[in-house]
Amino acid sequence: MKNETKFDPKILEEMIKFGKHVMNAPKFVSAPDEISLEVTPHDIVQEIDKTRLLHYRPLTDKQHKTPLLISYALINRYHILDIQPEKSWVRNLVLQGFDVYMLDWGSPTSMDKYLDFDDYVNGYLDSSVEYIKNESSAEKISLQGYCTGATIATAYTTLHPESVKNYIATAPVIDGWRDTTVISNLAKHMDVDKMVEIIGNMPPEFMYYCFSVLKPFEQGIEKYVNFFKNIENKKFVDNFLRVEKWLGDTPPIPGELFRQWIKDIYQDNLLIQNKMYVGGSHIDLKKIDMPLFTQVAVGDHLVSPECSMPLHYAVGSEDKILKIYPTGHVGMIASSLSQNKVLPELGKWLAERS
Amino acid sequence: MSSKPQALTSIGPMRAFASNAKKVSTELIEINENLMEFNKFVTEYYKQLSETWTEAQKKVNQKSPDVPHDVEQIESFKRIWIDIFDNDFTELFDSEKFGENYGKLVSKELELTKHWNNISNVILQSANLPSKEEIDEVYREMHALKKRVTKLEIELKKKKEIKNDGGIKNEK
Repeated sequence: MKNETKFDPKILEEMIKFGKHVMNAPKFVSAPDEISLEVTPHDIVQEIDKTRLLHYRPLTDKQHKTPLLISYALINRYHILDIQPEKSWVRNLVLQGFDVYMLDWGSPTSMDKYLDFDDYVNGYLDSSVEYIKNESSAEKISLQGYCTGATIATAYTTLHPESVKNYIATAPVIDGWRDTTVISNLAKHMDVDKMVEIIGNMPPEFMYYCFSVLKPFEQGIEKYVNFFKNIENKKFVDNFLRVEKWLGDTPPIPGELFRQWIKDIYQDNLLIQNKMYVGGSHIDLKKIDMPLFTQVAVGDHLVSPECSMPLHYAVGSEDKILKIYPTGHVGMIASSLSQNKVLPELGKWLAERS
Repeated sequence: MSSKPQALTSIGPMRAFASNAKKVSTELIEINENLMEFNKFVTEYYKQLSETWTEAQKKVNQKSPDVPHDVEQIESFKRIWIDIFDNDFTELFDSEKFGENYGKLVSKELELTKHWNNISNVILQSANLPSKEEIDEVYREMHALKKRVTKLEIELKKKKEIKNDGGIKNEK
């Protein structure tokens, strides 16, 4: 016969195999409440409103003198920094001998809609720093901010430089006008006053929408195809479900905080221009004069490198370093690359200054 | 007189509801007007998505004109499809026209929510329950009080420290 189409029977074989994997998936998948995202042992040492200060238990005999506080992002929860033992940011630092604390912002409710930047910077973050200073008898601490948590940490560091010995900014949201991501495009066109007035807090649904427009086909199709292909790989499935559970745990952002964040960072870009005010105090990036380590990811599609890097050039620090890694926003903190390159480099830098 | 039918609404939830019935109907009329505007932006939203899809599919067709015959070809076709679609859609979501329309769409959705809130408030008040604004006022007050308490606690702590320092100096 002419024009006969050659059909590789392997295609059918693959399709049947994939179908079987889909059918068998329920046998291999745990329910979300069966998955615990708390990996590294810790104690909750302070609770204020809905925030919690976590103190990780030491895993080494000797520890560096200066404690490290991590200010996690406002989007999703802190668990991604301790998502599984082999990829845990926190565990790695604890194993390097650092005394690590984490500030969990919790899940705000409607009654928290009036919480603003001032409450987060001069309230929750400052209380945590003061607690750690008292507990450890250290005069200063090392502070790490991740993503939007770095925006808060940056504001804090300019207002309380006397409490911060070293500052680590990981994918910080700093220069909103230079940000080339989809998130910044949506933020620039948002009527945030109307949203806060009518809804109150920034609803999680809005964040889910933002996530859905980031690489929609890779994340919406390929990711799940891969999941079913690897359904019999216990480690892969476990890791996948942990990340999925983390992705699904998106707390609302307090209205007033969200309003100032969108306006001052994305719409008016006040932070990098040294025109931002928090609780009536001027945020001057030149006041950051302690050692600074800025980490950015070249493939970051949530906070583009152009948005983060200006911090390095705007501060008053003489001892500063900017590292650019070939990965993405989450890859920088929870991947093999972060374990094998990002964290060892950070640990070495921090140890020399702790 | 209690025999008059209108006296039935003189007390209780029905009175409040009846006196606010006009507000509910006004809100409903405005919701209708809002919906027309909202539909305009939703239509534009899906038009943008659909046009981007068509263009992306054309590009995929140009790059992989043949029907894949084996597993490797299917894999590479899938890769091309995902890459082109992701690129084109990211370009759309990054564009001014998308951002502007999406902003207006969300804004209209919020206005619809506001009308719904207003109707809910009428019902809440008729049931003698606090409105959203009244609850917000309580939240605002609580927030201000918490800030004030924290400030006072810090001042008290400072005063205690000064007093203690003074005591130590005196002892010396």
